[in-house]
Amino acid sequence: MKKNRRIGSRFLIGLVFLFLYAPIALLIIFSFNEGDSGAVWKGFSLHWYASMLRNRLIIESVYMTLLVSLLATVIATFAGTFAAIGLYSLPRRRRDAILTVNNIPMMNADIVTGVSLCLFFVAFFQFWGRFARWFNGAQTAFALPERLTLGFGTLLLAHIAFNIPYVILNVAPKLRQMDGNLMDAAQDLGCTWMQGFWKVMLPEIKPGIISGALIAFTMSIDDFVISYFTAGSSTSTLAMTIYGMTKRRVTPEINAVSTLLFLTVLVLLVIVNIGEIRQERRKRNASLQGVPLGEKLRRFFATRAGLYAKRGLTAAGVAAFVAAVLFLTRETQSIPVVNVCSWGEYIDTDLIDQFEAETGIRVNYQTAESNETMYSLLKSGGADYDVIVPSDYMIAQLIEEGMLSELNYDNIPNFQLIDPRFRNLSYDPENKYTVPYAWGTLGIIYNPTMIDGEITSWGALYDERNAGKVLLINNSRDAIGEALMYLGYSVNTTDESEIRAAYQVLDDASRRGVFQGKVMDEVFQTMEGGNAAIASYYAGDYLSMLENNEDLRYVIPDEGANWFVDAMCILKDAPHMEEAEAWINFIASTEASLANMDYIGYASPNAEALEQYPAYYEELYGEPMEPEIYDILVTPPEVLARCEMYENSPPDTRALYNRLWIQLGI
Amino acid sequence: MKRKLSLFALPYAVWLALLVVIPLVIMAVYAFTDSDSSAATLENFTDMGVYASVFVRSFRLAAIATLICLLIGYPAAYFMAGEGPGFQRVALALIMLPMWMNFLLRTYSWMSILENNGLLNQLFQKIGLFSLIASVSGQEIESFQMLRTPGAVALGMVYNYLPFMILPIYSVILKLDKNLLEAARDLGANSAQVFLRVILPLSLPGVLSGVTMVFVPSVSTFAISRLLGGGTQMMLGDLIEQQFLGGAYNPHLGAAISMVMMVIVVLCMALMNHFGEGEEQAVML
Repeated sequence: MKKNRRIGSRFLIGLVFLFLYAPIALLIIFSFNEGDSGAVWKGFSLHWYASMLRNRLIIESVYMTLLVSLLATVIATFAGTFAAIGLYSLPRRRRDAILTVNNIPMMNADIVTGVSLCLFFVAFFQFWGRFARWFNGAQTAFALPERLTLGFGTLLLAHIAFNIPYVILNVAPKLRQMDGNLMDAAQDLGCTWMQGFWKVMLPEIKPGIISGALIAFTMSIDDFVISYFTAGSSTSTLAMTIYGMTKRRVTPEINAVSTLLFLTVLVLLVIVNIGEIRQERRKRNASLQGVPLGEKLRRFFATRAGLYAKRGLTAAGVAAFVAAVLFLTRETQSIPVVNVCSWGEYIDTDLIDQFEAETGIRVNYQTAESNETMYSLLKSGGADYDVIVPSDYMIAQLIEEGMLSELNYDNIPNFQLIDPRFRNLSYDPENKYTVPYAWGTLGIIYNPTMIDGEITSWGALYDERNAGKVLLINNSRDAIGEALMYLGYSVNTTDESEIRAAYQVLDDASRRGVFQGKVMDEVFQTMEGGNAAIASYYAGDYLSMLENNEDLRYVIPDEGANWFVDAMCILKDAPHMEEAEAWINFIASTEASLANMDYIGYASPNAEALEQYPAYYEELYGEPMEPEIYDILVTPPEVLARCEMYENSPPDTRALYNRLWIQLGI
Repeated sequence: MKRKLSLFALPYAVWLALLVVIPLVIMAVYAFTDSDSSAATLENFTDMGVYASVFVRSFRLAAIATLICLLIGYPAAYFMAGEGPGFQRVALALIMLPMWMNFLLRTYSWMSILENNGLLNQLFQKIGLFSLIASVSGQEIESFQMLRTPGAVALGMVYNYLPFMILPIYSVILKLDKNLLEAARDLGANSAQVFLRVILPLSLPGVLSGVTMVFVPSVSTFAISRLLGGGTQMMLGDLIEQQFLGGAYNPHLGAAISMVMMVIVVLCMALMNHFGEGEEQAVML
């Protein structure tokens, strides 16, 4: 009977561990996959480990994560311990009041902590900007920086803020258990307070400090939400990088990183546990009770296990110190930098290396998900970009709100190469702010093996026969625009009833379960893997998908489609104006345009590049380009005539779009 | 002497005011002001009725996830506490270990398991489940839609927050006075009675903090619903994120939603704590 129960209980615990570890085991197994799928095994290979080490984004974010967690843990442990000691000498009522406030960050949802800290930092920066301008105006002895942004500093502050309460919570019970007379006795016997602290108090509360530090570190490493709201655009922890990647194409390099992290932690844990077990055994053998801590430590460090522990501790300390120093020096080194924000899979990354090698300017390249999210990031003060690459209608909005800086075209001679068709467009009629980057169409991508017949209308996106197989594009302008085109309205209508009618189409389809999900760049993985049959997306991205799934087709529906231009602009008060113009000029050159066109699958606005591309393609791949593909890449004028460009809509219409869009989600 | 020591508390009180209280105050100011003119308004709250279904979905999914965590976590913690010290040490380490890998990594792994062409559907295909269904019901299906469903989101929550349920319950049960159990048995209680009338009431503080530690992050998550719900299962976290860094920029509305969520959560917790004190030391490992 007893034995049965024991087996039963172990079985349950085993199941729990299976549940906890199966996904982790899969991550590890697929890090050795030859192919890039997380579900199809193609053979053993280590090449993801090699390419991970070359991936600057991943390496830098791992480094950032460790640095922030270590620094925050050390600072929070130190501050938290002293705060706890202070709290325990306060009268009970005041202590309880402070402890209640102390509990707030632990009880609050992470997102509330993150959001409130983000608002606080931004408000402080505004206040600081005003103060610095006044201060710099009032005297000339030294200048304060006027523009602060979210970044490493705010990230570290946020981590310290949510770590301290955990430290206090762990140290406090030890202080409570400690006999208050001990310290008095020590001092009566002639100790100074400092001596008393080191010799009496510290040994008593040490277990609390250690477990507090451990929890603080764990919380820091595991955190995503608070970092996401306080780190800004240029600082990225590993979690933020992964979150960004899950929205695009997740590379198995991420699996490789997780495997390495997991093994590191596992090894550390095993070492610590073995050390503890040995220590306990020794304790049982020769009681060390009553031996002073210093002696205990000395004896421990004299043993073999202790030797390793000592080496480990020293190494960890040195590593943390070196990392901190390295980081600080890197920050203060005055390498010229340019911060660029663009879309996912939207540049030939070799161009970045080439530009860095040619000019010595470091490119900090980041991506946003959509025009709308980029706008939010700019507005919330979380971004410190120089160059951005928004689409037509968003550019018009940014110009209207005075957020862009006029360009000095003398520094951008390659602007002369831009085809006159793409200059002075409606969003920037006098062409004072922009240099076009790429252009293309938004159409329907579908997998003919998964549905019957051909698609010729936007109606396919809302057709009940395709229930569960359609991916809706996850931004309001495009999704509602498609429904407007389906109904035969202009995508730029400001008529509320027309927009509501379009929303109704989406809402009906959504209720009937037509949409499998709402996606942006997740569309790559989902369509390539045959997990959905129909999606609307951009022509150039279709060409990228075609390389991984030959079945896919692209169509511009009979009702017409949207055509867009994405253009490079510089933000007002950008700190790196010259570097930004150099970058824009580089990207607008014919060579860069050709390379980019080939890599991203979008047509360049550079007249020479458009003309030379077929020859370039033939030289590169040894075969002529198929005319159908060329027509998708460079939309022919007669097709383009059927397409409409988005224009900036009035604030009321924008608000309506936002409201309807959120409503659709709920 | 005591006086002097209390000076240590002063900087921390200032720090708390600066980084905990003031941010919340600023959030409240945002919640009660207008987005265009920053005039005081209640509009952000009165407009919120539209999002009632998001509130309902979030609280329902979080409650389901918490319940499942409790049903799995309590027995696991109970049995763990009954094992030998070596077993306990290893088991404890194994439960903590996944927390040191970021939760997004673990959640991402579930995506490839649950996809239509994912590992689970491949497994069903291999064992002939779909042809079995086809022959029984005549329905031709190629895969189960598991990703981008409410179930997937709840699964993600259970998976990520289960350790937060197990650990506090385990630490409370471990600290139970064994003499009490013996006394109960001596007084004639059978094992069911001992469990129901002694162990369960005494472990309630652990359960309460476990419930809090699972429920609060579940109700406010946005990464899990985004990854496993695929944008179809909008939760409060998504709604808030949308207003700050997402497609619908309106921090005033976002702050208002955050505040309402915070108040509801606090009320839930207060109601629950009415039945017993939460275990303060539960977050100690």
